[in-house]
Amino acid sequence: MQEIVRAEGLRKTFTLSKKQQKIERTGETRRVAVDGLSFSAYRGEIYGLLGPNGAGKTTTLRMLSTLIKPDAGDAFLAGHSAVKEPGKVRDVIGFMTSELKLEGFFTPAYLFDFFGAMHGVEKDVLAARKRDLFARFGIDKFSEVQVKNLSTGMLQKVSLVISIVHDPEVVIFDEPTNGLDVLTAKVVTDFLLELKGMGKSILLSTHIFSLVEKLCDRVGIIIDGKLAAGGTLEEVAKGDLESAFFEIYRGAKGEIA
Amino acid sequence: MKLVSLMKKEFHRFFHDPRLIVTMLLPGILIFLLYTFIGEISHSDEKRAFKVYLSGNSAAVGIIEQAITEDGSEVEWLPVEDEEAARAAVEEGEATAILTFTENFDLFGEDARAGIVYDSASEDGVYFYSLASSVLIGVGMRFPIDVETVKEDAVAMTEFLSVLLPMLIVCFIFSACMSVTLESVAGEKERGTLSTILVTSAKRSDIALGKILPLSCISMLGAVSSFIGVALSMPKLMGVSLGTLGGYPVWSYFLILLLILSIVPGIVALISTVSALSRSVKEASAYTSVLMILVMVVSIVTGVLPMMGDWACAIPVLGAVIAMQKVLAGGLFLWQSFLAVGVNLLFTALLVVIMTKLLSSERIMFGK
Ligand SMILES: Nc1ncnc2c1ncn2[C@@H]1O[C@H](COP(=O)(O)OP(=O)(O)O)[C@@H](O)[C@H]1O
Ligand SMILES: [Mg+2]
Repeated sequence: MQEIVRAEGLRKTFTLSKKQQKIERTGETRRVAVDGLSFSAYRGEIYGLLGPNGAGKTTTLRMLSTLIKPDAGDAFLAGHSAVKEPGKVRDVIGFMTSELKLEGFFTPAYLFDFFGAMHGVEKDVLAARKRDLFARFGIDKFSEVQVKNLSTGMLQKVSLVISIVHDPEVVIFDEPTNGLDVLTAKVVTDFLLELKGMGKSILLSTHIFSLVEKLCDRVGIIIDGKLAAGGTLEEVAKGDLESAFFEIYRGAKGEIA
Repeated sequence: MKLVSLMKKEFHRFFHDPRLIVTMLLPGILIFLLYTFIGEISHSDEKRAFKVYLSGNSAAVGIIEQAITEDGSEVEWLPVEDEEAARAAVEEGEATAILTFTENFDLFGEDARAGIVYDSASEDGVYFYSLASSVLIGVGMRFPIDVETVKEDAVAMTEFLSVLLPMLIVCFIFSACMSVTLESVAGEKERGTLSTILVTSAKRSDIALGKILPLSCISMLGAVSSFIGVALSMPKLMGVSLGTLGGYPVWSYFLILLLILSIVPGIVALISTVSALSRSVKEASAYTSVLMILVMVVSIVTGVLPMMGDWACAIPVLGAVIAMQKVLAGGLFLWQSFLAVGVNLLFTALLVVIMTKLLSSERIMFGK
């Protein structure tokens, strides 16, 4: 079992804006979003970060993908430090969230080539990958259709394929099925299983138990920015992930509000 | 390499969208129509009879006379017997102007000078002045022209237009830059497509340049279209048809084009920076409109206030407007123009650095 992602004491504090304080009805000016988080994910496996809203999942994944810098701690992805070598890390990971969008004006083929170039992929390698991936996910018939004219499911496939344009070792996915209808959600879960079949390592975050049960080999439960429990799905769930989660939650926070 | 791909993407986006191209070329057409219209009003086909006092002589006089008669007007040359009386006649409106040449003017001697005295409040006076001065500039600019207006407080029509025109150009350039830059930078930020690029290993400086360079080139198209509009309306504006040896000399067109082009990257970089700071296109366009109004107001004020020295040309964006006003008012303001161009380039470079910083800032790009 080879370690592919390691988070070491990640910590991130945000300063809350006045507006945010008002929305969240709080007087505090600082918020510890992630508080000394450590975990490891292994090659060829799917690791799930499971936690309620506001637990710090997005913040953690953003630190892993070098979009934001941790206040303390570091993370290593395929051996590269997120803090010291952000450029290298970006080339070994594929990052997907629903917040990352594709410009509707362009075609899948154009965007594939463009993002390939952004990752510095060689032209001929890129062309071969495009043929392979577009055929595998059924995008080839739509490769010259403007993205804005694609169906939701096809658009999702295109986004997914483009996130792995540079053949990353690790794929990081924040809330993969959030806000998607059931059919599109299935496109995504199928894609993730396909990726796993291709030998990729996957790190995802979610608040949905069934998604973890369906996909993950290993799970970390994150509550208030801390890892409350972690291990293989069997170790953590002990047969029933949902009741195990609430037990852990009670242990960490007392009663459920 | 990544920079090239980033730039190509912007060009591809633009040149495959006819709507964007039309917005870009519209300002020039508008300027041309507008100024042709103003020109028609201020220089109607009315035949004029000029009475001009002439002291000294030059071959230029013949050319001026030819230009006047070609327009269907006439000129009567009067000798200057009493300088005071001649001035008084111009002041009273009995004569149009006094035109003076030093001895041996046509030999381009060291002290060759020409002088025009006219009443800037009189239409005939302005007409004659603009015609004569453009002929003189056309003949050769190695000598200075002493221009004097008899009534100090009146603002001549040409002076007025030379103030208004650059401001209009800036206004059009601003809107050309705005239409592409807001869409491309603030739009991409708002729609979340910019973050998709930030997730890749492309350098932040490449991403900043990959926006500002191509958007500047594209906006320059709009600016050149404005310039063509201006160039076509300039002769009309001066009341001289293109056929005559008049209008502004070639170098003044060149200087104005250079000044216009130098303003573009500065404004594009400015709007890009504002866009990067804003959360939405709406927010960015609100800030940009304020900037645009500010530049317009200040450029009118500086144009009218004569105390603004040549060094005003060192103000980014505005300096080029001031230089343009000077060139349009007649005269070779070389170092002022190049100073303005240089300052604009420096200003752009500075904004590229700031933009790079903004793109690297997690608070700006990924803040709540
Ligand atoms: N950029 C930010 N500025 C201020 N507070 C933030 C920011 N990002 C996240 N937070 C806060 O940090 C906490 C964790 O957020 P997040 O990582 O998005 O949680 P999750 O993804 O698990 O729902 C929340 O309380 C959120 O309000
Ligand atoms: Mg989240």
